[in-house]
Amino acid sequence: MFDENTILVFYEITDIIIAGLSNGSVYALMAIGMTLVYGVTKAFNFAYGDFFNMGGYFAWILIVGIGLEFGGYITVFLIVLPLLFAVGYGLETFMIAPLRKRPDWENRVMMLTLGLALFLSNLYMVLFGSRLKSLPPILEGILEIGQIVFSYQDIMIFVMSLGGILLFGWMLNNTRTGMAVRAVAQNPEGAKIVGINIKRIFASTFAISTVMVGFGGILLSQKMFINPTSGGAIMIKAWVITAFGGMGSIRGGLYAAFIIGMMEAFVGWIFGMSYTIIALFVLLLATLIIRPQGLMGKGA
Amino acid sequence: MIKVSGLNAFYGQFHVLKDVSMTVEKNGVVVVLGPNGHGKSTLLKSICGLAERITGNILLNDTELTGLSSEKIVDLGVTYIAETRELFPNMTVLENLKLGAYCRRARPFEAENLEKVFDLFPRLADRKSQTASTMSGGEAKMLAIARGLMSNADFLAIDEPSLGLQPNLRTEVFNTIKTINEQGMTILLVEQNIPRIAELASHIYVLEEGKITFEGSKDDAVSNDHLKEIFLGM
Amino acid sequence: MKLKQMALIILAAYGILAVLPVFVGHTPYLMNILIMCLIWAVVASCWDVIMGFAGIFSFGQVSFFVMGAYCSAILAISHHVPPVFSIVIAGFFTAGMGVLVGLPCLKLAGPYVALVTFGVHMALQPLLKGEIGIALGSGGAAGLLSIPPIRLFGYTFGTDNMVPTFYLILLISLACALTIMGMIKSYWGMAFLALKDSQPFAASLGISAFKYKLMVFAVTSFLTGIIGAVYGHFYGVLSVRMLDLDLFSILMIMILAGGLGHFPGAIIGSFLVVAASEMMAPLGVYRAVTMGAMVVVLVLALPDGVMGLCRTADQPVPEGIEGAGFKKGWMATEF
Repeated sequence: MFDENTILVFYEITDIIIAGLSNGSVYALMAIGMTLVYGVTKAFNFAYGDFFNMGGYFAWILIVGIGLEFGGYITVFLIVLPLLFAVGYGLETFMIAPLRKRPDWENRVMMLTLGLALFLSNLYMVLFGSRLKSLPPILEGILEIGQIVFSYQDIMIFVMSLGGILLFGWMLNNTRTGMAVRAVAQNPEGAKIVGINIKRIFASTFAISTVMVGFGGILLSQKMFINPTSGGAIMIKAWVITAFGGMGSIRGGLYAAFIIGMMEAFVGWIFGMSYTIIALFVLLLATLIIRPQGLMGKGA
Repeated sequence: MIKVSGLNAFYGQFHVLKDVSMTVEKNGVVVVLGPNGHGKSTLLKSICGLAERITGNILLNDTELTGLSSEKIVDLGVTYIAETRELFPNMTVLENLKLGAYCRRARPFEAENLEKVFDLFPRLADRKSQTASTMSGGEAKMLAIARGLMSNADFLAIDEPSLGLQPNLRTEVFNTIKTINEQGMTILLVEQNIPRIAELASHIYVLEEGKITFEGSKDDAVSNDHLKEIFLGM
Repeated sequence: MKLKQMALIILAAYGILAVLPVFVGHTPYLMNILIMCLIWAVVASCWDVIMGFAGIFSFGQVSFFVMGAYCSAILAISHHVPPVFSIVIAGFFTAGMGVLVGLPCLKLAGPYVALVTFGVHMALQPLLKGEIGIALGSGGAAGLLSIPPIRLFGYTFGTDNMVPTFYLILLISLACALTIMGMIKSYWGMAFLALKDSQPFAASLGISAFKYKLMVFAVTSFLTGIIGAVYGHFYGVLSVRMLDLDLFSILMIMILAGGLGHFPGAIIGSFLVVAASEMMAPLGVYRAVTMGAMVVVLVLALPDGVMGLCRTADQPVPEGIEGAGFKKGWMATEF
């Protein structure tokens, strides 16, 4: 019925869709972390992508560097995620909070985090060399459904990132701290009035976003390599997804992440990987011109 | 009891409050009158730890409030209710109220206070799951006051409760404040609406250009020619 | 800062630089550093005007620099345009690109502008390396290797005769600096100060933020494009490696060291940083790490750079337009 070529293309396309889905789920994690930190603290973090790599490198140190056997990835998450939380918390408390007193603090935060991005990416280069590192898959093997092959790794990445997002969404709506985070995002002055310590919420939010992007880093570095200098491109990707989905909209970020994950997989397949950043950029410009508030954003 | 002495407040380059001293007795209703932009709100915000920069002393019973952060002050039982309401626009009425009980002091009494507040403002109970941003001005004002009550405070600093309300709603708000006071709340209130508010006040201060220019009981205030001149244009 | 003071600082800085070849003119290595000072001073100043003065958070300055350099070099190599003309064309080309980038950007909020301009920066490298760039004559990943030097009246300004080349670039750089000064001190500049204080207030005076921002974008990208083209013709070699974040960060350190929004601080900052960066060469791989850390430290510890250290007493702290609410009416009339 179909000739061999058509069937091959069909398999290739299903592979691309699976890749788009599993990448998209990690992108969603990254985008939501970014929406969160920008929506709540109004600080723009240029080093965001380098925290993605930080997650990857921390995990690499534990698994490959030390050769940790016990508990596998569960131990890794238990060690690395709190560490990332501490890093994010400290960064907001000691570096960003002091800048908030200045009238042009937003710009200065961008400069500061850009400096931090340079520092981190070059530090990775010094510590780990420019050779790319990779993490072992969280779960090996494949799952065959009819003719379509899923790797367990892709499934795990998808499940874990969506699980992370759902857990985060639940916490945001149902815990006292989550409510406080939303309150600060909606009205910082009102939050102060009801007795919320907004400095602590800022720091926690920053820390949570660092955890989310670092978690994404651990997941995605199993499929792709950890590249010391890729932080900038990852940050841009997260930001384009956020802008495309609509600033401050978690649902928008979720949809946008999958759309962009797919788009990237297809652009990479058709034109080559180096064009994905150009495609992202074109998409960003188109979004900003046609619908500046993004897919689900509420507008200015 | 709150005792303010030698309070100075600054906003950027402006010296907003100049050496203000005042006392609010327990269970009293003290009203601060004054023209717009002469530091009334800043006075309330200074007490509640929300002002930009202040010097001087603010004593709550024996605790010094100057230098404390707003969340500590809320925990001590002093709550600010803003003229601009400062609600959380994308949250429901219930969520707004629950956040009103965010401070550690109020957490154990959340359910109890919620009931009390709904008794006081039955309309809010009907609109529990409505989003705050879709409420009318009067309802939003009530929600702001209700949220303040959720903090289980002993002392409320209320900023222009009548501003922008229709006369009938204004009466409702004043009656509510009266009820709250009768239940034992100490109130410091800032207003421009002198005839109505005089009924509530146990003591009146007038704040002009950052200084206290008059202090006395409501009878003194009503008979004072200078006050009549500025507030009633007589 | 007063016009006279600003002019004095600029002339003094360039004057000191102009004397140095008398002592080091025979050492090509040092002359090279001096020329770099001149070139980065212009790029850093343009960037500073955009970020610190006009308050637009653009990260596109390095990409404009590279665009100017490549434009002029490609014209000279592939189309045999004499460098003197190709430099001017490159200036106008870059100004056009600046306007093109500025158009969608300037109506956006700060982080979006930063993102779009940074996106231009990030997208330029794959573009120049890829097939499109090669078709245009960018030389792909290898870059351009034999860019002809500037020739004027039969005289060649290149790496072979550093001292005359230095003075030529000094003149160009000084002209750029004075143009920037003129821009800041003109009616435009005043309009910007008003914009920075309060956009609604400026709008009520009939100052259109969009128009002025676009004009500043055009002028600074023009100057950046010109100096980029000069750089290309001086060095004779160009590669997309310029778009690595190394140069980007050095320029940012220059601005921060000089004091963001404190022109001519960026000029002094770039002189200092070029020198310091050369001294940091022995750090090897740690050099880039140190520079990243320097940005962080400068932002936190020295918010106004060297210009902040020598702030003179006659500069009053700017007064905000928004006061403590004194703008409201005396009394509400409703009872």
